[in-house]
Amino acid sequence: MNTIRHQLASPLQLVVLATAGILLLPLGYVTAQALSADPAVWSRLWATRIPELLFNTVALAGSVSIITLILGVSTAWLVTRVEFPGRRLWEGALVLPLAMPTYVLAYVYSYLLGFGGPVEHFWQLVAGPQARVFSPHSYWGATLVMALDTFPFVYLLSRSALLSMNVSFEEVARASGVSRLSTLWRVTLPLMRPSIAAGIALVILYVVSDFGAVSLLRYQTLTYAVFQQMTGRSDNTAASILSLLLVVLALIFLITERWFRQRSRFYQTTGRYRSPQRRRYGWLGSIAVTGYLGLIVGAAFALPTSLLIQWSLSPEAQATLDSRFFGFVWNSGILAACAATGGVLIGLPLAYLASRRPTLLNLGCLQAAYAGYVLPGPVAALAVLVLFTKLAPVFYGSVLILIVAYVIHFLPAGLQSLEPALQQMSPNLEEVARTLGLGMRNTWQRVTLPLIRNGFVVAWVLMFLQTMKELPATLLLRPVGFDTLAIRVWMEASEEYYQLAAPSALLIVLLSLPALALLVSKDWRAA
Amino acid sequence: MPFVCAMPTVRQIILSSVIVLCAAWTFVPSAPAADSLTVYSGRSERLIKPVLDAFTATTGIQIELLSSGTTELVNRLKAEGDRTSADLLITNDAGSLELARTAGLLHPLNMREVERAIPAQFRASDNAWVGLSGRFWIIVYNTTMVKPDQVKSLLDLADPKWKDKIAIPNSGSEYLQAGVSVIRATHGDEKTTQFLQGLKINADSQVYQKSSQIVDAVAKGQVALGIVNHYYVYRHLAAQPGAPIAVIMPDQHEGGMGAIMNVAGVGIIKSAKHLDSAKLLVEFLVAQAGQKLFADLDKEYPLHQDVKADPALAERKSFRAALVPLSKLAELREATLTLIEQVGLR
Repeated sequence: MNTIRHQLASPLQLVVLATAGILLLPLGYVTAQALSADPAVWSRLWATRIPELLFNTVALAGSVSIITLILGVSTAWLVTRVEFPGRRLWEGALVLPLAMPTYVLAYVYSYLLGFGGPVEHFWQLVAGPQARVFSPHSYWGATLVMALDTFPFVYLLSRSALLSMNVSFEEVARASGVSRLSTLWRVTLPLMRPSIAAGIALVILYVVSDFGAVSLLRYQTLTYAVFQQMTGRSDNTAASILSLLLVVLALIFLITERWFRQRSRFYQTTGRYRSPQRRRYGWLGSIAVTGYLGLIVGAAFALPTSLLIQWSLSPEAQATLDSRFFGFVWNSGILAACAATGGVLIGLPLAYLASRRPTLLNLGCLQAAYAGYVLPGPVAALAVLVLFTKLAPVFYGSVLILIVAYVIHFLPAGLQSLEPALQQMSPNLEEVARTLGLGMRNTWQRVTLPLIRNGFVVAWVLMFLQTMKELPATLLLRPVGFDTLAIRVWMEASEEYYQLAAPSALLIVLLSLPALALLVSKDWRAA
Repeated sequence: MPFVCAMPTVRQIILSSVIVLCAAWTFVPSAPAADSLTVYSGRSERLIKPVLDAFTATTGIQIELLSSGTTELVNRLKAEGDRTSADLLITNDAGSLELARTAGLLHPLNMREVERAIPAQFRASDNAWVGLSGRFWIIVYNTTMVKPDQVKSLLDLADPKWKDKIAIPNSGSEYLQAGVSVIRATHGDEKTTQFLQGLKINADSQVYQKSSQIVDAVAKGQVALGIVNHYYVYRHLAAQPGAPIAVIMPDQHEGGMGAIMNVAGVGIIKSAKHLDSAKLLVEFLVAQAGQKLFADLDKEYPLHQDVKADPALAERKSFRAALVPLSKLAELREATLTLIEQVGLR
């Protein structure tokens, strides 16, 4: 034991410390700027914008996490514990909304639910010509869009927990005479708690730092206000103050989640399990389940996608498909691949050390990695820009600067799945390998990495998808002539040129699909 | 280990990752070719790209275009300093250009073509920036919901009778900031504050990022009135001739301040790597042919005296502009932003 710890200590520790330091720089920059601001700016913001923005942000995060909790866990449970026709299909389909950027969903819904839109027309046929549907440009509109877009995070992590969970716990409960419902409530759900909490934390961070949807739906959150401040003012003091609040807010969420997870740490004891038995429902039950899943997947993916296809086929949209377009596709794909790879390589040592040697220092380093995600895209981008121009101007104007911003921004998405993967693997396995004479390197290659591969792949894919969809940092940092698909969608959609935005939006969705296919491929499901 | 066969091993993943990362280095942009220009544009790509394409067609000089927000680009130029690859800055607001000039970002120009084509009030004192096209901040109304004599002045829009009936741009938009500056200079801070407070209550959540959205909302009858730059209305009408919208040129009454004018303009960056080509572009934009493009494609008022505006627009001589000089917009801006923030406009 001691030798392992000793050998682990030096190089890895140094790498982790250095990484954490670099990741913390943008946060430090923003904090310094916010704290050195004129107190008059603080008090003016408190008197005018802050109460509204804080309330809006917390309210949105709250409602979205409740809805995603219900949608994510219920769908995960249905596809893992119930047998019905087409189950395997739905298992994959439920991940599809991850390929749909929030701003695309937002613009589709602002068309559908908007003033004079199709839903309103339909509703007026039913309820009379004066009837109105709820405006998509509101709290409920933002909640709907964000929840439909982010529930797959909870679904994915819950599903993977349900699949890798040792069924014997549930069987013991059932054998001892506990009812099905009670088993679910007292055994299954508590065992899933770390994964659910990780999923919800991901959702909250995502909602809190989202810019695309809230700006298109004109719902004022802190992040949106930061972007408005940054693009509308020549100094970013106010933006830094709002960012600092955002960071504090997100830290509160994160610390709560971590504390919650610390209290419920479970280890798997073997590498392989029987898959759980699925209950068969009658045809009525099957129809109900299919209807429920169909509604969710339809609203979050099928309907928006079919609209995008229809718009893409319009003559206006066809006219934009020239050689420039291939450039955008290439830019998007390569940027996302680089950022995801960089993120996994940086995240792995952080998560590993924090899980195996949870000293205050290592946990601190891990928390530092979460800083980027709670810094809204635009502020992270500006901080990275200024840091680069001061410290390493040669890289300025290169793609590298953009990739660094992406990695800082999206590392938490990767960590959220690397961490539980490491936690679920008992340290005993590594120790046994060492006792049996394997060296450090071999232990990593033959024991640790294969066992955490699920988390590894999920992390890569999540970061790839998020980078592909990223907007504000790309807007601020893209080198000249390096527009991505996301930028094209944004430019057209923000002026409500729905048809013109559709081809780029559709391509983002299509390019994301192979990555998603990897996510649901059964080959690497908890072995 | 049954899982090894189907998927690449972790080592392979890492190896390919490293390769991909190395590939990223090749994307470090090489120095732009000698006959190409890099333009930072705060104007919507839709409005400026056709004009720049016409320049490329005439001269063969390629243009790399970066479209973004005006203030955002000025911030970016400040951060980039001498290392910037930008040769020119095009904006939708004279105040921003003046701020860029005072920050030392722009290159003073001594070009007879510019001085001949563009009247002095639409240029910086040292020609570091040059106005290209004029726009007026007007009221667009839905003709089925409002009679044109119901509103005379921008300030009328703060009247409680328009509660939930108006749409406004968000507080980050440079022409809203310029507009408020002009109102402050004309009416004083107290009256401006009252106006903005009324406007905020009346608009409530109808605060838009883009002017085209405001025109759209008015055309659909979602709101009755909106404040936008004039050309968005005429562009909308050119695309949909039957739309029930029209323009009120505000503050033309006896003693009124006149319509608020701003210009879109261009400046050459101080550290421009392609100064000669950049001058060619400025020359192209201020010449009659370039000015005609702004008039025809964008429905703006050309600043060149010999070029006529689109006939659909109100004759330029038929209305008065506010008397606040454009160069003053920059010095008024900081206090305007504070005022906007105090009122709490979104």
